[in-house]
Amino acid sequence: MPFEVIFGAWVATGLTLFILTFLYEDNPLFKIAEHLYVGVSVGYAIVKTYDTVVIRLIYEPMVKQGDWSLLVPLVIGSLMLARYVPKAAWMSRIAFAFVVGVGSGLAIPRVISSYILKQIEDTVRPLVSLATDGSTTFTYSLLDPASNLNAIVLLIGVVSVLFYFFFSVEHTGPGKVVARTGILFLMIAFGAAFGYTVMARMSLLIGRLSDLIDYSHPEYGRATWWLLAVTIATLIAFRARRRGMEPPQ
Amino acid sequence: MSLAERMLSIDRRIIFLMIGLCTLIPLLYPVGLAIKVSPEVKSVYDYIESLPAGSVFLLSLDFDPASKPELYPQAVALMRHAFKKNLRVIGMTLWLPGTGMANEVVSRIAREEGKVAGKDYVFLGWSPGGGSVIINMGQDLYKAFPTDYNNQPTRDLAVLNGVQSLRDVNYVVSLAAGTTGIETWYVFGKDKYKFELGGGCTGVIAPGLYPLLRSGQINGLIGGLRGAAEYEVLIGKKGKAVAGMDAQSATHFAIILLVILCNVFYFSIRTSGKTAGQH
Repeated sequence: MPFEVIFGAWVATGLTLFILTFLYEDNPLFKIAEHLYVGVSVGYAIVKTYDTVVIRLIYEPMVKQGDWSLLVPLVIGSLMLARYVPKAAWMSRIAFAFVVGVGSGLAIPRVISSYILKQIEDTVRPLVSLATDGSTTFTYSLLDPASNLNAIVLLIGVVSVLFYFFFSVEHTGPGKVVARTGILFLMIAFGAAFGYTVMARMSLLIGRLSDLIDYSHPEYGRATWWLLAVTIATLIAFRARRRGMEPPQ
Repeated sequence: MSLAERMLSIDRRIIFLMIGLCTLIPLLYPVGLAIKVSPEVKSVYDYIESLPAGSVFLLSLDFDPASKPELYPQAVALMRHAFKKNLRVIGMTLWLPGTGMANEVVSRIAREEGKVAGKDYVFLGWSPGGGSVIINMGQDLYKAFPTDYNNQPTRDLAVLNGVQSLRDVNYVVSLAAGTTGIETWYVFGKDKYKFELGGGCTGVIAPGLYPLLRSGQINGLIGGLRGAAEYEVLIGKKGKAVAGMDAQSATHFAIILLVILCNVFYFSIRTSGKTAGQH
């Protein structure tokens, strides 16, 4: 196995164990891993951005292919840096105005179409279906999202939740029943979201533990076992040192 | 102090240890619980299955290493399926921190499936702008990505023959860990350039994407590690996702048990408190 793969496995194992030590208590090993994560992420982002934006998208097309039209976005983008010069800071507003204007122009129509119109279109569904011979039919399947029964459930859910957030009318009498129904729908939605979140977090744990199991094999030099021993020993040492520094009671 | 009070004030590290063991033991000794494929995952599989060889499949890996355990197995399964169907695969990412990982998974699976870079697949890399990149690709793919990740001019690549913009792409799947992902691809891509769109996502954002699925804005959704496991079952190549399903079930069972127990203890304390108050 190549050296860089084994080295990467040792680094990944060590950092995983260091981060997991936080579950026991906050400690310097966790801080090292945390700071490394932030530093490496930022360093990676800077290098990739420089390589992609400055070199590939600006320098090479302009200098090698003679596409000097790129000077326009380059100058507009550079105006943002004027914020660091107090006397020229006003020039950065031109760049921000351009970004806000273009961004809004691109996003507003598309977002209205995608999130509002399409979703309303899907919410307002016929409560009964028309058969080919002109008679009406009603489908009862709760498992079929397109069934008429689910259309009614959807209608009740949307109306009751919207009513719950309508604070201009006191929620008493029949209004209380509708608002309570809205709370019920909200609770189900929150429960589903929480269930998915738990599943996602457990998946992350499974991913890390799977890697730790893989890296405990002899081809990786039993990285997990060695680094687990080092981590536990370091934690014990830190704890003993802290106890020694505590003033006598 | 009653048992209920002692249990509710238990050291949380014991809970962590319990969850850790519930995850670790099934990973070491899997039992192979059955995995039922959901319709939303099957829809993505069926659509790829229906594409003729040579169709253009774009996989946008819109996640970073923090979401690797959930979305990496999805990417692996989708890539294997696309290569097995002899589709022309375009890989890219809208997430800067995930660029290296995305390149690694695309090139590794392509190598394992015997595919050639530039002929059978291309990894375009990352370009800044999020939604603007999609709009740019919809107008002219070669302006958005003049070169691929390996700095090869995209116009010279055989895999992109006949592909001028997103309108020439048969199917797009975005594997997303958050904003700048499936919704962005729908809003700035599918809604405007009319290609078919599917999605894969982390468990956290899955509930928010179901409205898009129901309304037909996306044709299928692979949700979290569970979705990846279902896809692995569909393509008949079990991987890391299927291996993790036993652990997932065990931890879910442990958490449900803890929630029930905590409620029992809580209500027993409340009831005993009321009784004491009456006396």
